[in-house]
Amino acid sequence: MQLHFTKDVLPDSVSTDFQNLNKFNEQQFLRLVEILFQFLLEPKETERFMEQLSEFAGEHGMSAGPLRNLMKSVLLVPQGALKKNLTAEQIKEDLVALGVNEDKAAHFSQQWGEHYAALSRLAVGQTLMVNQLVDMEWKFGVTVGTSEIQKVGNIFLQLKLVIRKGNSTENVYMELTLPQFYNFLHEMERAKASMECFS
Amino acid sequence: MAATISSEHFDNLQLLLKAPSKDAVRDVCVQSHRGPSRRLTETTAATLSIPAAQAAQLVESLHVLSHHILFYNLSSPEQILALFPESFHSSLKNLITKILLENSATWRTEAVSDQISLPQLKELDWRVDMVTGSDSVSRMSVPTCLVQLKIEDPSVSGDSVSTVTVELSRESLDTILDGLGRIRDQLSVVAGK
Repeated sequence: MQLHFTKDVLPDSVSTDFQNLNKFNEQQFLRLVEILFQFLLEPKETERFMEQLSEFAGEHGMSAGPLRNLMKSVLLVPQGALKKNLTAEQIKEDLVALGVNEDKAAHFSQQWGEHYAALSRLAVGQTLMVNQLVDMEWKFGVTVGTSEIQKVGNIFLQLKLVIRKGNSTENVYMELTLPQFYNFLHEMERAKASMECFS
Repeated sequence: MAATISSEHFDNLQLLLKAPSKDAVRDVCVQSHRGPSRRLTETTAATLSIPAAQAAQLVESLHVLSHHILFYNLSSPEQILALFPESFHSSLKNLITKILLENSATWRTEAVSDQISLPQLKELDWRVDMVTGSDSVSRMSVPTCLVQLKIEDPSVSGDSVSTVTVELSRESLDTILDGLGRIRDQLSVVAGK
């Protein structure tokens, strides 16, 4: 059995889980798919996801443990599909191949099509960034006098960059003269122009 | 810091009358600006044929005078000549004034560039990459910008240059440019006044 979302051979328990999806009535299935996509769109809300599943299990007289395992298997499809940029049609083919009823597979793939843009934006946003710039603060002014010269009138610019390094952030401070500032601005504009060439 | 110039300082300056040439006066004036050192004291004592203690006082007095002129930005001969007492040797007074005026622009530039400061930006390099795949999405195409800043901290002795590299998304680059653009606008308002 050749699937689109993964190249690995799936364990039997996973295939069984997909076939078990057919046991839900239409209303139950819609609700489950809704819970699933809600979780995919807000992956940090694990607790809410678990609560919703327990609630669902309670309402329909099932035990929560097996339902959770079932959902774990179902999640493999959208997660794999995101990595491989699958189309809604390919998802449907995979679900049918795994033994899911035609209409249930169609509903799932239709939901996938609806949320695909948001999900892939989310995945791109999660892409690793090294030393990501989080914030920049600035001030500028005029140096009026120093211990060496009573009256000066030089413009200075001070920048604070906040950089994320792993779990902590680091502040970097620096001072620029006016020509350096204009150079900095110019270089950043060139970098932006270079980035825009590709999009 | 500029101290007021007392009459002892001018007494010390009269020691320059023992100098063999105008160039010898110029040398000691220019070198004294950086502050006293043992070597300067020794060479001054030898050139002027005076005891080392007197040479040290002369260097100190010249140092005080040149820093006074720098601090108050005295830029005309009249302003400098007015500092000297009436009784001061007239042509020596003119010579010292001339030497100080010759050097004051350089001293001013040096003082401005050596002033205390936060770490200073020294160099900036950037690189734009296209991210074509990652662990979360196998095929993507998202541009990203690496910016490397070389920053020198003048308060650290030795190797004071540190390098900081940051990665910017398109959005954060836009935010930076927005901030820098606002600074530029404000600066041009200030310059227009």
